[in-house]
Amino acid sequence: MAEPFDVRIEVLAAEGRVLPAFAWIGWRWISRNPIAAAVPILLPFFFLFFLRLIAPPEYFPLQVAGAMLFTIQNIGSWCLSDSAYWRIEQRLQDLFVASPLGKIRYLFGVAFSNLIPAAPALVVLAVLLAWVTPVTLAGWAVLLAALVVLWILFSAIGIAISSRLRSQREVWPVGNLIFTLLGILSPLYYPITILPDAWQGAARFLPATYAALLVQGALGLRPAGLEEIALDAALLLGSALLGIVLALALYQWRER
Amino acid sequence: MAFGLRWSGTAAFLFTEVRLQIHDLLALSTATLVQAVLVVFVAVLAPDLLAFALVGAMAYSAFLIGQRLLNEAAYLRIDQRLNELYHASPMSPEAYFVGMATGMLVAYAPTVLVFVPLVQLVHPLGPLEWGVIAAVVLAVWVVSSALGYVISTLFKDMKTIWPYSSLLTNLLGIVPPVFYPIGLLPADVHVIALLVPTSAATAIAAHVAGLEPISGDALALAGAALSLQAVVLLFVGIYWARRSAREA
Repeated sequence: MAEPFDVRIEVLAAEGRVLPAFAWIGWRWISRNPIAAAVPILLPFFFLFFLRLIAPPEYFPLQVAGAMLFTIQNIGSWCLSDSAYWRIEQRLQDLFVASPLGKIRYLFGVAFSNLIPAAPALVVLAVLLAWVTPVTLAGWAVLLAALVVLWILFSAIGIAISSRLRSQREVWPVGNLIFTLLGILSPLYYPITILPDAWQGAARFLPATYAALLVQGALGLRPAGLEEIALDAALLLGSALLGIVLALALYQWRER
Repeated sequence: MAFGLRWSGTAAFLFTEVRLQIHDLLALSTATLVQAVLVVFVAVLAPDLLAFALVGAMAYSAFLIGQRLLNEAAYLRIDQRLNELYHASPMSPEAYFVGMATGMLVAYAPTVLVFVPLVQLVHPLGPLEWGVIAAVVLAVWVVSSALGYVISTLFKDMKTIWPYSSLLTNLLGIVPPVFYPIGLLPADVHVIALLVPTSAATAIAAHVAGLEPISGDALALAGAALSLQAVVLLFVGIYWARRSAREA
């Protein structure tokens, strides 16, 4: 005998089949809006072009790796924007809250959907990175792990903040403030050692700083021993975990 | 519609817009973040270009006022549908556009002016130099406001606007020589850079400020391009405001 519909839908939701559905939403968004696909690819290259002109050329491989981290960090800003749009303007969140979909799956769904537009940029930047500096298999693995940690962390931060916004007007300034500040404070595009001491101290409170240090160390873009790399990895995981816990505490899962 | 311009309601809408923007303190206080980031990049990576980047930041701030106008005009039209109310009132369409643009300029003037003491600190300038910088900053504001207003009328939802707005502001702010001297680009592309409103304004300001002298021909090209764009786009904006008011 066939299972009742409500039982089947509960099982489907628990199996995580909604995640590809969200990824499909991300694909449809860029396939219907070619500019929306092009912008996430172009933005890191605009920055790299600017930095290539003003910075010493030896920093370029570090800046390409930094652009990958910055791109993944930006997904948080898009998650903020998307979830605010769906909740405030489209009232779609009401539907999701009433469904068996939990808030964590919704978070990952929105994060997946926003990973799709960023993926081409990450692939192109990875090719560029391999072109400008030799990258070992272990280097790729560390880079991938850092990207995954930042993706989860910043998506959680984006959605958590979005859940507290009351109007679409707040999306741009709040997203701009948080993600621009986080992006500039962490040494993604330059070695941390060239920053003033106070700035270095402030940057040490941010997970993206440890992601940058870890990746730079693993790729040989700064001198770092195994112990230092392991410490950066531990600090990245610890600070990201703390950030995710705080984000989940802030995250409101409710109708309207 | 009569051929002559009708300005009824301009002052009222200007003050409405100023009040509206001043109440949006978060947006106002975050409006210089991107410029600040680029200036910080320059300060960290190429400190000798700091004065240049600060002058460029003023031109870019003026350009971003147009982006704010784009968002505001789209928000009023798409989310609030207030434009229908305004267009049904005695206020003329050109008053709606010019009032909004001027209100934005008044509210967001601090995002330009904040760089004045910084420039004065690292590279002191006289009244004549400041006069020229003020003129080019105003020309950039006219260009970006008209562009922002016209673009805002082309979309049906707020979400679709974001990539276009982002592309425009980055393409005209980060890529051309606004935060770095035009001399860092190959000579072949100088003409193109001098035709872009933001980099034309920066090239003129940097020349007058003695930060990067350019040839007389280059200066004339930048001045002519920026002036022409400002005048033409102002009339395009007014024409477009009338046209979109008829369609509202």
